[in-house]
Amino acid sequence: MTLVSAGLVITARSPINSAMSLVSTFFFLAGIYVLLWAHTVAVMQVLVYAGAIMVLFLFVIMLLNLGDAAHRGRPTVTRILGGASAFGLLAVLAVTLGRTNAIPANLGPQAQATFGTMASVGQSIFTAWLLPFEAVSLLLLVAMVGAVVVAKSRI
Amino acid sequence: MVPITYYLLLAAALFCMGMFGVLVRTNALVVFMCVELMLNAVNLTFLAFARMHGDGIGHVSAFFVIAVAAAEAAIGLAIVIAVFRSRGSVNVDDIRTMKH
Amino acid sequence: MDGIVEFFRTAPIPPEVFAPSLGLIILLPLLGAFVCGVFGKWLGRANVHLVACSAIAGAFVLSLMAFWATSDAAGGRVVSMPNAFGLERDVVRYAISYDYGTWFAAGDFRVNFGLLVDHLSGILLLVITGIGFLIHLYSTSYMEHDDGYWRFFAYLNLFVAAMLTLVMADNLVLLFVGWEGVGMASYLLIGFWYTDSAKAWAGRKAFVTNRIGDFAFLIATFLLILTVNAFSQQADPRDYNSAGSSRARYTQGLLEKGPVTFKGLEKMALALPEGTGGAVSLATPIEAGPLAGYTFGGVMTATMLLFLLGAAGKSAQLPLYVWLPDAMAGPTPVSALIHAATMVTAGVYLFCRMSSLLVLSPTAMATIAVVGALTSLLAALIAFAQDDIKKVLAYSTVSQLGIMFMGVGMGVFWAAALHLLTHACFKACLFLGAGSVMHGNGDETDIKKLGGLYKEMKWTHATFLVSTLAITGIIPLSGFFSKDAIFHGVHHNHLHDLHWVSGFVYAMGLLITACTAFYMSRVYLLTFTGKRSPEAKVAHAHESSWFMTLPLVVLAFLSVVTLVYALPLMPRSGGGMQPVFENFLSPVLRPAEAVARAAQTVALDHSTPAFVDYLIAWLVALSGGATAAFLYLKFFPAQVGKPVPAFARAVRRTAHNKFYVDELYEFILIRPVKFVAFILFRVVDALVIDTVLVRGTAYVTEKVGLGLRRLQTGDAQAYAAIMALAILGGAVYALLQVLS
Repeated sequence: MTLVSAGLVITARSPINSAMSLVSTFFFLAGIYVLLWAHTVAVMQVLVYAGAIMVLFLFVIMLLNLGDAAHRGRPTVTRILGGASAFGLLAVLAVTLGRTNAIPANLGPQAQATFGTMASVGQSIFTAWLLPFEAVSLLLLVAMVGAVVVAKSRI
Repeated sequence: MVPITYYLLLAAALFCMGMFGVLVRTNALVVFMCVELMLNAVNLTFLAFARMHGDGIGHVSAFFVIAVAAAEAAIGLAIVIAVFRSRGSVNVDDIRTMKH
Repeated sequence: MDGIVEFFRTAPIPPEVFAPSLGLIILLPLLGAFVCGVFGKWLGRANVHLVACSAIAGAFVLSLMAFWATSDAAGGRVVSMPNAFGLERDVVRYAISYDYGTWFAAGDFRVNFGLLVDHLSGILLLVITGIGFLIHLYSTSYMEHDDGYWRFFAYLNLFVAAMLTLVMADNLVLLFVGWEGVGMASYLLIGFWYTDSAKAWAGRKAFVTNRIGDFAFLIATFLLILTVNAFSQQADPRDYNSAGSSRARYTQGLLEKGPVTFKGLEKMALALPEGTGGAVSLATPIEAGPLAGYTFGGVMTATMLLFLLGAAGKSAQLPLYVWLPDAMAGPTPVSALIHAATMVTAGVYLFCRMSSLLVLSPTAMATIAVVGALTSLLAALIAFAQDDIKKVLAYSTVSQLGIMFMGVGMGVFWAAALHLLTHACFKACLFLGAGSVMHGNGDETDIKKLGGLYKEMKWTHATFLVSTLAITGIIPLSGFFSKDAIFHGVHHNHLHDLHWVSGFVYAMGLLITACTAFYMSRVYLLTFTGKRSPEAKVAHAHESSWFMTLPLVVLAFLSVVTLVYALPLMPRSGGGMQPVFENFLSPVLRPAEAVARAAQTVALDHSTPAFVDYLIAWLVALSGGATAAFLYLKFFPAQVGKPVPAFARAVRRTAHNKFYVDELYEFILIRPVKFVAFILFRVVDALVIDTVLVRGTAYVTEKVGLGLRRLQTGDAQAYAAIMALAILGGAVYALLQVLS
């Protein structure tokens, strides 16, 4: 299902359709995250991506009033090359992964209770990863200011 | 128990589709969405490996990726708006200013 | 009486409290230079004067405190500092130091920013800041009509800061910083009136000549570092024992302070003589490193000869003396401070500081002495026929520096240092007097066009007379005693296997004394006595303001009283009396004497001059002066209008043209260099570099650029596609690596 909706993202003619497919992809991915016991990240996925970022996308699409694309774009040499390399990479990765056999770790009951919970992720963010966390917060602030400056027509 | 390999395969497929989109689509907005798709694929591998090793660092990384993706989306869309204002198009074919 | 002695023996600020502030002595003039240089234009003339003078005055007060602290013996306990390279009980007496930590380090080589004040650098500190202050005071009046006053004072302060760094440095590299700093300040000040191209050229000449010397200095430093490394690898406990150290302490010292500190070098010098019976002596070959195969003694001789070349550049000795007379293009206070009193004596200071290493090499010592003697005589002869008052003084400076080099070369370091001190006083006085004469006579420098000034410029005349007598060597002025101390030591010290040097240099010395007396009397007589020349620029000279005469009076006074230093008033440890200055410098020079005794390289004599020695020197000086008096007071005035004999004219012309040394250099050095440069220009520059390299590069770049431009489509997606291809390639490569 994830793959199908992701496929729709890249094939849809209209940006709106792409965006809606992307939302569904995100939801499916969130489900997969839960399967991986990453509850916190799954919640974040839904909130940030499916919520905030997608709203932003749709907002921009509406703002720019983009309808169906007038043309699909000429199949230039670089496009063909790029597409081919993407498929090539997929093939290579598939071969590589097909030869490996990774199994999930056996977590003890203690770990099972805490793995991927809000508490444990928060614990490590605010202790060992505090400095990167602060850096990211600064980055977000700068991005916010930058976005306003760039998008504003006159300063 | 689903082997981690399947998750990784799924991530690889997502990543390659994202990449395909980035390389092939002409609409800048769709290109951005494909970038998000690639970032999600990366997140998926992070989480898969976190599950495989049973530690939380992968989750933290995913968290940071999401935060950075949000920043990137904000800036990127702002640029798209600015470009649209000045050129009236969001088609990457029309934006060939990165040359002398 | 005891109270007075106790007062002078107790420093107002205890040494251990004062030591960390040593850096302030350098920092104050540096700050002054900064303020004057950056804000000088806005501050205005009076404020710049205030800042510059008070910076130097502050440095002088601090120097006084430092000097006092080095003589501190409160409660019978002599001030001392631990020697990082010696055993714990082996302390350096009469010295204070402070280490500001590592300046830079690379591998196991390190240099610390360490300052050291002992009696040698202490007395120089007083000279630099004291005379420096007087000259600043003098300059406020001398430069009153110049628009570049702020630049001038900034440079002057910068010079003082650099010179203080030079004398306070406790290692060679820091000393080199000061060495280069004074060279730069000197260059800036010689070319101070840079709009006059001749003066700018004089600055450049000084700079280039000095660079040659500095190059030698640097190589010598590198050689010393290699020697120290070899020594620390090859020495055995007996070597360390004889130097009052141990392997552990010495290696620790090297680790903490680096290989170029003077104390460390001193310890190595103490361990090197054969008599100490260790694994390392002067004849031991170095085992490893770039110097492998050469003996320690040979390397030491080479090092000292290179230092001689370096010192010859800075102290204007043969063959690099040519810049100093041209340096008179700068303002006169600069000539007094830099080119007479302080900077040019840096070479003498360097050798006194490294005396313990120098005495290891009789060859180098003999070379120094002979170079000094030849320079001194040549400069004195050139000075005979110079008409420019500043040029005469410049050549006399070269000559006096030559005398100091003779002293250093023959191992009478204390007398050389004493002559440095007295020379600083009377030569600064002479230069400032000359400046005062110029100031009062519309910048006239030709002594033939002066004359009869004794009535119009009373103070200048009196002080000039005193300092002329001092430099001439008339009893009882300081110059006589310091010069005679050198000649006496030169006469009685003997270099190992080079006994002829003593006699030769002594004879030269007597000749130089006569010459000095002659040309100095000539300058004095032509300038101040007789009738005013009809060609004078202004009919009546005016006496300068007290800003200019006060320093003159102080310096004249100093050039009289410093004679106390040369009198044998202090008891010698082995019985008898020794001159005050020798006693005063003995803490600094003791290692050198120990080395000389152990190595048997130079037999140092400590006898005090007998009355006969004084008499001979005095008669020689008097005869020179009397000849001048006869010639210029009686003979020439009577000969006016008569034709001059041809040979006299030829001699005069030769001397006037400085024995054609500049032309000789032009012929042997500059012409060939120019020729080679021309060839290089045609072949290397025009063909290889211009055509092949420069244009060729441009051609290739252009063609490649044209080709590559096609790739630069500006299509972001194309770039991304290339990236994707690269990723794919990388992944495939990694996969193949894993599979194979």
